[in-house]
Amino acid sequence: MRRFLHLLPLAVLSLALTGCPSWFSDDEEEKEPFFLGDLIEEFSPPTLEELDAKVEWVEKPVLDSMELLREFKKGETVLATEEEALALANDSPQANAKIVSGLGRLAESDGEVDWNASITRHIGGDVKSTNPLFISSTAEFDVAGLTGVGLFGFDWNFDNFASKDTVISWHSSKDGLYDKIVMRDDLTWSDGKPVTAHDIVFSFKVIMSNQVSVPAVKSGTEEIRWIEAYDDHTLVFFHKEPLVTNTANMNFPIIPKHVYEESIYDDPSLTKSAYHEQRDEHPVVGGTYTITKRERGSQIVLTRRESWYMHDGKQVREKPYFKIIRFRVITDSSVALLALKSRDIEEMLLTPEQWRTQTNGADFYKNNTKEYGLEWTYFYFGWNTKKVYFTDKRVRQAMGYAFDHEEMLSKLRYGLDVPCNGIYHKTSKWSPKNPPKAYTRDITKAEALLDDAGWIDHDNDGIRDKEIDGKYVPFEFTILVSQRQDRIDICALLKENLSQIGIICKVKPTEFTVLQQLSRDHKFQAMFAGWGTGTDPDTSVNLWVTGKGRNYGEYSNAEVDKLFEQGKREFDPEKRAAIYAKIHTTLYEDQPYTWLFFRNGYYGFNKRLRGYKFSPRGPYNYGPGFNAIWKPAMK
Amino acid sequence: MTQSNPSSKPPSQASDATASRGFWAEAWVRFRRRKLGMTSLCFVGLLAVIAILSPAIAGTKPIVCRYKGSLYFPAMAYFNSRWENPIFYRDKFYKRYPEHLKEKDPDSWAIYPLVFQDPYRRVKEGEWEGQPGNPTGADGVPNRHNWFGTTQAGVDVFAQMVHGTKIALLIGFISTGIAAVIGIIVGALAGYFQGWIDILLSRLIEVVMCIPTLILILALMAIVEDPKIWHIMAVLGATGWTGIARLTRGEFLKHKQAEFVTGARALGTGRVRIMWRHILPNALAPVLVPIAFGIAAAILMESALSFLGFGAPPPNPSWGTTLNAGRTSNLQNWWLILFPGIAIFLTVLAYNLIGEAVQASTDPRLREGTK
Repeated sequence: MRRFLHLLPLAVLSLALTGCPSWFSDDEEEKEPFFLGDLIEEFSPPTLEELDAKVEWVEKPVLDSMELLREFKKGETVLATEEEALALANDSPQANAKIVSGLGRLAESDGEVDWNASITRHIGGDVKSTNPLFISSTAEFDVAGLTGVGLFGFDWNFDNFASKDTVISWHSSKDGLYDKIVMRDDLTWSDGKPVTAHDIVFSFKVIMSNQVSVPAVKSGTEEIRWIEAYDDHTLVFFHKEPLVTNTANMNFPIIPKHVYEESIYDDPSLTKSAYHEQRDEHPVVGGTYTITKRERGSQIVLTRRESWYMHDGKQVREKPYFKIIRFRVITDSSVALLALKSRDIEEMLLTPEQWRTQTNGADFYKNNTKEYGLEWTYFYFGWNTKKVYFTDKRVRQAMGYAFDHEEMLSKLRYGLDVPCNGIYHKTSKWSPKNPPKAYTRDITKAEALLDDAGWIDHDNDGIRDKEIDGKYVPFEFTILVSQRQDRIDICALLKENLSQIGIICKVKPTEFTVLQQLSRDHKFQAMFAGWGTGTDPDTSVNLWVTGKGRNYGEYSNAEVDKLFEQGKREFDPEKRAAIYAKIHTTLYEDQPYTWLFFRNGYYGFNKRLRGYKFSPRGPYNYGPGFNAIWKPAMK
Repeated sequence: MTQSNPSSKPPSQASDATASRGFWAEAWVRFRRRKLGMTSLCFVGLLAVIAILSPAIAGTKPIVCRYKGSLYFPAMAYFNSRWENPIFYRDKFYKRYPEHLKEKDPDSWAIYPLVFQDPYRRVKEGEWEGQPGNPTGADGVPNRHNWFGTTQAGVDVFAQMVHGTKIALLIGFISTGIAAVIGIIVGALAGYFQGWIDILLSRLIEVVMCIPTLILILALMAIVEDPKIWHIMAVLGATGWTGIARLTRGEFLKHKQAEFVTGARALGTGRVRIMWRHILPNALAPVLVPIAFGIAAAILMESALSFLGFGAPPPNPSWGTTLNAGRTSNLQNWWLILFPGIAIFLTVLAYNLIGEAVQASTDPRLREGTK
């Protein structure tokens, strides 16, 4: 016995570090039976003949986004040649316009494209999952955009269409209740199996399963009553009601049925079992590229799929320009800039500081150039409205008045961004005609609002407090922010501003995925974050409607809920715009967020890249987006 | 009958008088002879003075002011924010003293720090007469008003450096203090009692040595709801005691066999008293060396953590944080690298030199070489 005594501290310590072994645990989870598509109401679809007999079909556009862009470019005035653009330093809006015009040129013939080219792109954080159902971060959008297959697309103006790459025809019923799609029969998954209508039906059922936790994808998809595959390539979407958003609702991620149809019953989370982990590591994809290498925290390598553009020995789709696309994970933007300068990466989103001060010299322009475009991405302080500090609208308004917006915009954002006055950018058609004035600092108003809300320094300690359940609660909260210095600086400014009016704010830099998890679980008091724009104003429904998946701050306003319901049913564009404008102003009045600024897209590109075009979602995430970018063959 | 003054003693007697000095006095004499060690000690002393006087050197709050008939010390808030008298909050000073003192009380007066700059925020135009607002970004080069330049957000680097001294010294002393207490107790118990206690404690030392401190701190900072610099100090202290414990154990093993311990035991002295009063003072000298090195290591670790962005919560004027700000500017803002880099280097060097000097002046085997 004495011989083993010296192992005791080790055993105690390992117990402390690893927790109790499983035999101590008596709360083993009982596995619930899984029912595929249990959130879908029962429905008996008619036969296709019955449907064709009763429905008046209207043909809808089936387009090739590259062709669309080529058409658009034809009408565009070229402001500079490539050589002129490459020789320019981007130091004025005029220079920017010339560079974007000169280098945004599309490939005119196959002969001028370097088909063996590779590109190394930058992502600021690793991809959590390669399964498109779990898409959440920008990096996941970037990867899924190249590996995923979809029936629908949208252009830089956010106009929807069925994609010519995957669809032969698209018809909608005149009453807006049905959509009929005929898919192409030359689509295959990366394992060689055909992509069929059954995959779309299966994906729909997976999304609409209670045990599959995909709140972001569920929103919108839940408006579909049923999808019926009448054969391998003919599909009909049955909608619950005619909605403006029905096309967007049909555009959900697609996963291969043959890969998941059995395994989902063992692991409905699609993430935990060894099989699903393996699938996540080596996914079966249907898009233009396949994942050939994945080193967590380091890189993801995509390789062009020959089976995407070749079928039975014939070219059936446009050949993607790059043979290899490498996503390099570099979390630190200053390291990323060094990598860009040394050609280790070939594109990146620049911070305002980098744009203003670190990319003006010959060391940058030797291999790179830079451009910017207007983007509808806004940043905010989000308040958890269920926490005692932020339940009262007046307190949230006070936060907006207490914060020094001018200092942030001019000093911390280097004057590159515009103030944000709500969820829709002023250039969007959804923005109110008379938009609310963006908040500016008014410390007296902030104090008056806090006093009105009952947050007064009752105990004379210099900190505001309020009597809640018979106890004085000091106004002391923590704001979560990702570990980026420019964002931490903004939160530090908030802390300083609030300390002036007797509020203690603690800034907690948090790792990005932890921040995401805490937000989803509503386990935060305040947070700094940003949102990009969706293609339709209704895509923000899950940010603001009571109980929706990405309503992290648990904001609730019956009027906003009602307006969102109205918005998706209103087909008159003007009336619809008025509804979303009303949502915009109501939210701005309620201040569930303190809206800070709209960030434009400031990018550094390697000089060899051509064909980019900026959209309100940046240069990549629209049709054709990244697919239009190419490298000229070396002369 | 020859009670003369020491200077009249013959050389041999003077030498005897030196030999009769206590061990610590002797060590101090030898330490003083080591120029590098003494310079380093003076440097650390200077840092301690800077740390204590930091609110009086750089700040935007008065060191002392008379307001509405009473004396206040608002600058003490730099040590603890709750030490700022709430009267200034009630009277809506908004933490801007020069602007509001005279306006609210024309008879008031105040003595401000030597440099009107704040370690936590940018000083704006008009806050101090004749002083422009702090520049931001690449414009923050060292200038007349910002001796060491400013950070990207416009915070004065000199003020950060001065107030960062406090963090550097505190982290060194407190974490190594914790490590010393644990290490000496564990080492003393293991060395004195031997047997199964020694086996158990020695295994414990080995287990703790296996814990990667950096990873433990990173995990802790992620788990703790409200992480503070004290947490880092606690972890550094709780994991950094093993070297001290091993040395103490060795010393106790050696001295336990000494005659003075046997004598004390024979007189019926209790174990605790023997350990505390008889062995420990004799065992302490070699232990001081890892303590000095430990302080240097702790300062370096805090700087490394802040450099990696895992240090004390922002805004945190530690030297490592400023260094990190320099890194994110891609070395363009060289002043963010240079000044904290020099400070960290000199401080760590100073502690290491002190450690070496202590070792040389307390280890009899090294004494000859020092003469």
